[in-house]
Amino acid sequence: MGAASGTIAPDRILHDMADLWVSLGKQGDGDAGVLRACSMTLVVAAEESDDAQAIGETLAALMPEHPSRAIVIRFRAEDQRSLAARVFAQCWMPFGHRQQICCEQIEITASDASLPDLAAVVLPLTVPDLPVMLWCRSPRLFHLPAFSQLSAIAQKVVLDSAAFSDAQAALGEMSGAAAAGHLLADLSWTRLTRWRELIAQIFENRAQLANLPRVSDILIAHRGTAIPATSFYLAAWLMDGLAKVGAHPRVRFHADGGEPAWRFTLVELRAQGNADAIASIALAEGHAAEVRTGGLVSKALLPALTDYALMREELSIPGRDPSFEGALAAAAKLALS
Amino acid sequence: MSLENPFQDPLRFERRVPECAMVIFGANGDLTKRKLLPALYRLAYERRLDAGFAVLGISRTAMSDGDFREKMLASVKEFLEDSPFDADVWTAFAQGLFYMAGNFDDAAVYPALDARLKEIETARHTGGNTLFYLSAQPSQYIPIAQGLAAANVGKAGSGWRRIVIEKPFGHDLASAQKLSAELHSAFEESEVYRIDHYLGKETVQNILAFRFGNGIFEPLWNRRYVNHVQITAAESIGVESRGSYYQEAGALRDMIQNHLSQVMATIAMEPSATFRPNSVRDERSKLLRSIRVMKPDEVLQNTVSGQYGPAHIGGEDVPGFRQEQGVKPDAQTDTYAAVTFFVDNWRWAGVPFYLRSGKRLPKRVTEIAIQFNAAPLEIFNGDESTTAPNLLILRIQPEEGISLKFLSKRPGAGMKLRPVSMDFNYGSSFGERSPSAYETLLLDAIIGDATLYTRQDMVEASWAVVDAVQHVWDNTKFDFPNYAAGTWGPKAADDMLARCGHVWRQP
Repeated sequence: MGAASGTIAPDRILHDMADLWVSLGKQGDGDAGVLRACSMTLVVAAEESDDAQAIGETLAALMPEHPSRAIVIRFRAEDQRSLAARVFAQCWMPFGHRQQICCEQIEITASDASLPDLAAVVLPLTVPDLPVMLWCRSPRLFHLPAFSQLSAIAQKVVLDSAAFSDAQAALGEMSGAAAAGHLLADLSWTRLTRWRELIAQIFENRAQLANLPRVSDILIAHRGTAIPATSFYLAAWLMDGLAKVGAHPRVRFHADGGEPAWRFTLVELRAQGNADAIASIALAEGHAAEVRTGGLVSKALLPALTDYALMREELSIPGRDPSFEGALAAAAKLALS
Repeated sequence: MSLENPFQDPLRFERRVPECAMVIFGANGDLTKRKLLPALYRLAYERRLDAGFAVLGISRTAMSDGDFREKMLASVKEFLEDSPFDADVWTAFAQGLFYMAGNFDDAAVYPALDARLKEIETARHTGGNTLFYLSAQPSQYIPIAQGLAAANVGKAGSGWRRIVIEKPFGHDLASAQKLSAELHSAFEESEVYRIDHYLGKETVQNILAFRFGNGIFEPLWNRRYVNHVQITAAESIGVESRGSYYQEAGALRDMIQNHLSQVMATIAMEPSATFRPNSVRDERSKLLRSIRVMKPDEVLQNTVSGQYGPAHIGGEDVPGFRQEQGVKPDAQTDTYAAVTFFVDNWRWAGVPFYLRSGKRLPKRVTEIAIQFNAAPLEIFNGDESTTAPNLLILRIQPEEGISLKFLSKRPGAGMKLRPVSMDFNYGSSFGERSPSAYETLLLDAIIGDATLYTRQDMVEASWAVVDAVQHVWDNTKFDFPNYAAGTWGPKAADDMLARCGHVWRQP
C-alpha cells in the first residue's frame, strides 16, 4: 500500500487504510466478504535492528485473540529527522468459515530525532474509544527523553526488565515511573504467572494452607549469575502473601548459571526443623515443572514463554493490575536494599 | 478464623478448585469414557485441579485400579477433542484414579465405598470433600442415593458432599417430584446438581454476558420491540443406537423439557440482581413458571409432533425411525417437536416463543433467532427485502457467534436497500480454545457454583408445561411418519407459524 518518505500525513495513512478495506472487500468471496475486527490500538516501539519478521509473526499470532490496529514504529539511531509509513492488513480465515477476518497494520520507520514528532502522527491513527497499549521492546527507547510524549498516548506501557542490563536499576526506574502514575506492565512479571499459579494452587488445599504460617525459609534458584528481576518479583510476592498469614521468612537466592537468567530452576518453601519442604517446584525437562507437596508429586506443563504468550496475557489486562503494582514496589525495594 | 489462601490473583489465574475426590457411579459406561474422563484429564492438563484430586470409579465390572487406569487412558486418548495428550501429565493424574466393583442395589457396597474413600482421603489429602457423579441408569438414581444415605458415605468428616445427576430428571412432573423427594432423603437440595450440558456451553453463558453486560440491547428486549423468538436445535443424525431409549422419551421430553426450556429461560429471564447462583436460578425459575400451560384444546393448535420416515440422502438410503434398531414398527414417538409458548409476564405478553427440535433434519445446528418488529413505515418503495425485519441470531453450535441483520443502502444511484449481516464469531474473535461443557460444569460442581445447574423448582416448572402437551399427544394417534429424513420437519410446523403470520428461519 501507499508509502511516503521524509514526513507522514496521518490523513494519508487513514485514506490508505480505507482503500485497503475496499480492496480486501473486492477480493472477498461474494456475500461472505471480510470481517474487520478491532479491540484496541497496539503500538510497538522497536529498534530498526530488531527482528522485523519475528515482530510480524508475533502480531499475526496475537490478532485472532486481540484484534487490533497495530502501529509498529521502528527506530534507527540517527540525528536527521526522517519518517516513512506503509499500511497493510493481517488476515486469517478461521477453520471452516467462509469469511476472512482482517486487522490493520501500519508500519512507521523513524529516526530518533523524529521521536518528538511521532506523538502527533500516532495519536490520530489510534482507533477511537478503544484502549491504546504501547509495547516498548527496547530499553534505549524507554530512556530517550521524548519517549514520554509517545507513552502519554497509551493507557499502558509494556516493558521487559529482562532486556535491561541491570535488573536492580530497571526495577527502581519502573517503580519510580509507576509511582508517578504511569500504568506499566513488565514481561518479567508475566513470566512468573505459571509459577505463581502453581504455588497458589498448592495452597488451595486446606491441609497445605494450614502449613503456610510455619514457612521460615524461601529458596529461589535461577539461571544466570546475577539475580534477575523475576526472582526479585517472586520473592516480593511470596513475602507479601506470607506476611498476610503471619509468616516472615528469610529469602535466599541461588544462581545456577546458564541461560536464560530469568528462568527458575527451583522454588522451595520450608519450615524450620522440617526435613521435607512444605512445597517445592523444580524445573523438569521439556517445559515442565515437578510439584512436590504433602508427599504427592505432580507434573505441570509450563507454556513456552514466547513474546506471543507473554503479550497475549498482558493485552488481556488493559487496566490496572494491583498485584503487579504491589510486587513492583516491593521488588524494587528488595533489589535496592 | 479460617485461613485464606494469600496467593490468589484472580486477574491472571484461572478459578482454583478445592481438594476433592469424585466418585463416578457407572465408571465403565459411555459417558465416563467419552465425556467425564477426557474433561477431567483436560482440567488436569490445564492445571485446574488440586494435586491430590482423585477419582473413584464404581460399576459392576470387576477391574483393578490398574485396569481402570488403562481403560481410561485409552478413552482419554480416543475422545480428547482438540487437545494435546501429555504422557507425564497423564501419569501424575492417573495416580489419583481408583476403582471398585459393586452392584448399586447391594447395600454392602456403600460401607465399602465409604472405607475406600477414607483411604483415598488420607493418601491424597482430599479433605473429605466428595463429589458423587451418577453416570448410571436413571432407574438407579434412587437406590444409589438411598445407599449413600444409609451408610453415611462421606458424611463423617468436615468436607462437603455434592451429587451430580444427569437427565432425565423424571419422565413427567410426578416422577420428577418423586425423584427429588428421594434424593432429598440423602442430600439437601443445595447439594444436588442437576446437569444440563447445554447450559455449560460457552455461547449459552454468553447470552447472559450479551444481555446483562451491555446496555444497548436490554431496552429492546421486550414485547414492544420483539416480534417473536425462534429456538432451534436440529440434529442431522437419527437415533443411532439409542432407539429403545428414545422410543420412550421423544423429542419433547428429550430436548424441549430440559435443554430448550433452559435456553428459553436464559433468553427471556429478568436481569438477576447479582451473579450469584441462586439469584440467577431464581430468575430462570420465575421465567419457567411464567410460561403459559396449555389447555388440552389448545395443544394441537400450538404444537406439532413429527416422526421421520425413510429417505435417500447423499446417495445413501437412510431408515425411517420405525426402521431403526430397537424401535417398534408402529411407534408413536415424536422425533420432532415444535411448540409455541407464551410467557405470561409484562415483558413478554403476546410474544410467541417457537421452540423446535428434531432428528434427521438437514443439518446439526442450534440457534436462537430474535426477530424484531419491522420499521413502522415503509418509505423506500422497494420490494419485500426493503422491509425485512431486523434479526438477532445467537448461534450456539456449531459456528458459535452472534449476527445482527439489518438493512443498508446498496451503493449506487437510487435508494435500494439490501439486508446485511454484522457478525461476531466467538471462536475467531477469541482465539482461545473454549472449554467443553463438561469441563465447565465439573469445575463448577467442585467449586460449588450451581449457577449453570438446574434446580428442582426449575425442573418441575418445565415439566408442568411439557406434561400438558405430552398428555394430549399420548392420547392422539398421529399419522406417522410425517416428514422425510433430511427435511426441516412436518408441514404442520410451517402451518403453525403461518397462522401467526410467521415463517421458520432456515438456519
